[in-house]
Amino acid sequence: MVGLKGLAAVLAVALGVIACGGGQTAAQPSKTPGAPVTLKLQDYSVEQTDFHKQVAAEYHRLNPNVTIEWTSIAQAQYNQTLPLAFSSKQAPDVFYWTTGGPNAMNQLLASGWIQPWTTDATAAADWEKRWPSGSFLNGITLKGGKLYGFPWQDTHYWGPGYMYMNKAVFQQAGLDVSKPPATWSQLSDACKAIRARTRAYCIAAPMKDTDFQRLWYALAAGRLSDTFFDYRNGRFDLDDPRFMDTFNYIVGLNKNGYLAPGVNDKDFSRQQFAAGQAGIYMDGPWMVSVWAQLGFHSDGYAVAAHPAPDDTPRGALSQRYSQYAYWLSSQSTHQAEAFKFIQWVTNPTGFFVQNFLKNSFATLAFADNKKYLGDPAWKSVFKIADTKGFRVVYPEPLLKCPALADSKAFTMASTTRPNGEWEVMVQNLVNNRDMTADARALVNMRQAIFDTQLQKEQASGLKVSKDCYTFSGWNYDQDYNPANYPKS
Amino acid sequence: MADPGPAVAVSEPRAAPGHRHWFQAARDDSRFWIPVFLLPFVLLYFGFTLWPLLATIVYSFFDWDGVQPLNQFIGVDNYTRILSDPLFWSAFRNTLLFAVLNTVIKLPLTLLAAVLLTRRWLLFKRFFRTVFFLPIILPVALSGLVFTYLLNPSNGALNSFLLERGLLKQPIDLLGHDNTALLAVILISVWQIFGQYMLYWMAALQQVPEELYEAADLDGANERQKMLHVTIPLIRPVAVIITLLALVNALHVFGIIVTLTAGGPGRATYVVSYFIYTEAFQNAPFKYGYASAAALIFAVLAFVFVTGQGVLARRAEQLRRQYGV
Repeated sequence: MVGLKGLAAVLAVALGVIACGGGQTAAQPSKTPGAPVTLKLQDYSVEQTDFHKQVAAEYHRLNPNVTIEWTSIAQAQYNQTLPLAFSSKQAPDVFYWTTGGPNAMNQLLASGWIQPWTTDATAAADWEKRWPSGSFLNGITLKGGKLYGFPWQDTHYWGPGYMYMNKAVFQQAGLDVSKPPATWSQLSDACKAIRARTRAYCIAAPMKDTDFQRLWYALAAGRLSDTFFDYRNGRFDLDDPRFMDTFNYIVGLNKNGYLAPGVNDKDFSRQQFAAGQAGIYMDGPWMVSVWAQLGFHSDGYAVAAHPAPDDTPRGALSQRYSQYAYWLSSQSTHQAEAFKFIQWVTNPTGFFVQNFLKNSFATLAFADNKKYLGDPAWKSVFKIADTKGFRVVYPEPLLKCPALADSKAFTMASTTRPNGEWEVMVQNLVNNRDMTADARALVNMRQAIFDTQLQKEQASGLKVSKDCYTFSGWNYDQDYNPANYPKS
Repeated sequence: MADPGPAVAVSEPRAAPGHRHWFQAARDDSRFWIPVFLLPFVLLYFGFTLWPLLATIVYSFFDWDGVQPLNQFIGVDNYTRILSDPLFWSAFRNTLLFAVLNTVIKLPLTLLAAVLLTRRWLLFKRFFRTVFFLPIILPVALSGLVFTYLLNPSNGALNSFLLERGLLKQPIDLLGHDNTALLAVILISVWQIFGQYMLYWMAALQQVPEELYEAADLDGANERQKMLHVTIPLIRPVAVIITLLALVNALHVFGIIVTLTAGGPGRATYVVSYFIYTEAFQNAPFKYGYASAAALIFAVLAFVFVTGQGVLARRAEQLRRQYGV
């Protein structure tokens, strides 16, 4: 049993270290202006490490008293070490955190992890003008009149749902990438041609862990949505008939040999596509920089919108309030310097923006992305995402019911078996089974947790209910009108 | 012999009578030294085994994400939820299956290899030992990656080889089906750990006195008879320990699952260690309390399972002696 104890011990040591950390300390103001300051930043954008070094050097050149230490580690490691850093009072000054989406600020405040970016309301007001109006929202970036968060990534272009086509494979198959498959039946026909006339597989579809989302979001959004929660009636919905249609369509692709075989991870599938072993890969616009890293450039591929069902009502991809990324740690003693640095970083025409976009790391919420992203593939991405109905603004329950900031119901329901949807789909897909029963069981489990917790919270006096998650007047292919939120 | 010369009285440094008495008494008394020498071990044992175990027990009674203060006491709620969590039981079943099959496959094979590698007539013994031992040196992550690519149905070496020679019409996806994924992982794990257990058996075999084999030769025993009537009876006590070790080690399977299948396809290869890891670390908010409870339940169940094996082995040995077989 030594080994078993060891397992428990490893777990407990990690927990123990956290427990020993104790509470948070109040941040102290920075020392004398001009005194040497080291600002520590942490995130998990490992691919940006070299760029971060350039940013640190440039900022230090402009501000010789400030040294930037920007550390990027793998996401899994980051998720484990950041809580430990906070508990042991060694948190970085600025950290990356997107878990919780629109509720991230409230969760981080409850954890005691963040402080406002500035106490100077005027400076913040001027700075906020860099974003489109309505970007700073009470309960999402602001609380008690203080500014805690700011939109980082753009969510109009950034997201899943793009279809990449390997030009060489399409050409061998006698297909034209300028006439991409726009419907499910056209996609099947294209796959048939690719399989018949080339040695390549049709679709490189990763299925390991949660990677099936790459294909699923693209195809499911064509039929309904890329979320597993129905905002029209406040219900988890993997068992929705429209999702079943999508799943059965993918099962058909698999049965016909159109999906590259194997439960592969996304990196493997991407390499398959880049190497010409598959004709199609579906994912987000980040692939433009990923392909470039693999030595595969936009003269070798084309981008198109995901195909949609032939003649049934279509859905859309979701645009949500989820782009808040960098936060000021409550343990930082350099509030003024950190805010000054963030102001420099978010300068829409500054060094950071220009070079960040030149590297195609992401699209930014505060920049003119079209101005700096010149790759032909990006031009296609912009055109696709600007098409009406490709991505629509989803309703945000937190803006309907601010009390949801203190609710755990949705988080509890969605993070119990967090990968459940992918597990159910992949297991049934690879075994060619009907997933109805498994999907229903998963939905019932999530819904029971959700409803029970909401009722408990309601009984304890919190002003929350299922109605907060219900937007019956809205439809999946429409932008939600923010005027419909109650005035606070 | 050289004259030792006049005796010289060497005076020891003088110490206060009380101090000298205490020091001498301590130096000569094992009751003083035993705890002194045990202290480092006791401290390490407390710090890295007992205390974490106690902490895990405490955490398992809390709804704790590792971030918020540890103040949401929920009694046995974590335990009742785990006991009704189908994924935990699925992972538990897979873990037992993995442990039993892994042990049943690897022990006879490694014993056979050890027997062969201890034969006098075998040439290139060192070479074979090195070959069998090599996989254990490879990091688990690397083994996982190697086999992921080797077995991949799209362009993996195994499928390409079989397809090109017409031995297969369609590629086979050993890691991609419920029926084969766990078995494939078990076989890869056996390959990886093979050298370690082969060494255990070789150590056991080298304890068998050579004279017994010589006597058996004189009696005209063949290799099979020597194996059944000399080797196995003599290594049986060690064999029980090796078996229990093999079971316990196999119950910990984690790394190979992470790198090969991530518990998939779907949940087909979920094992308890992976379940604990995903609950504790993979998705925020982390569920440290829940993961602690799962670890403890699994520890208890595994303890019962392994202890049961030991009891059964002893009982079988008693019966064997009782009936003289």
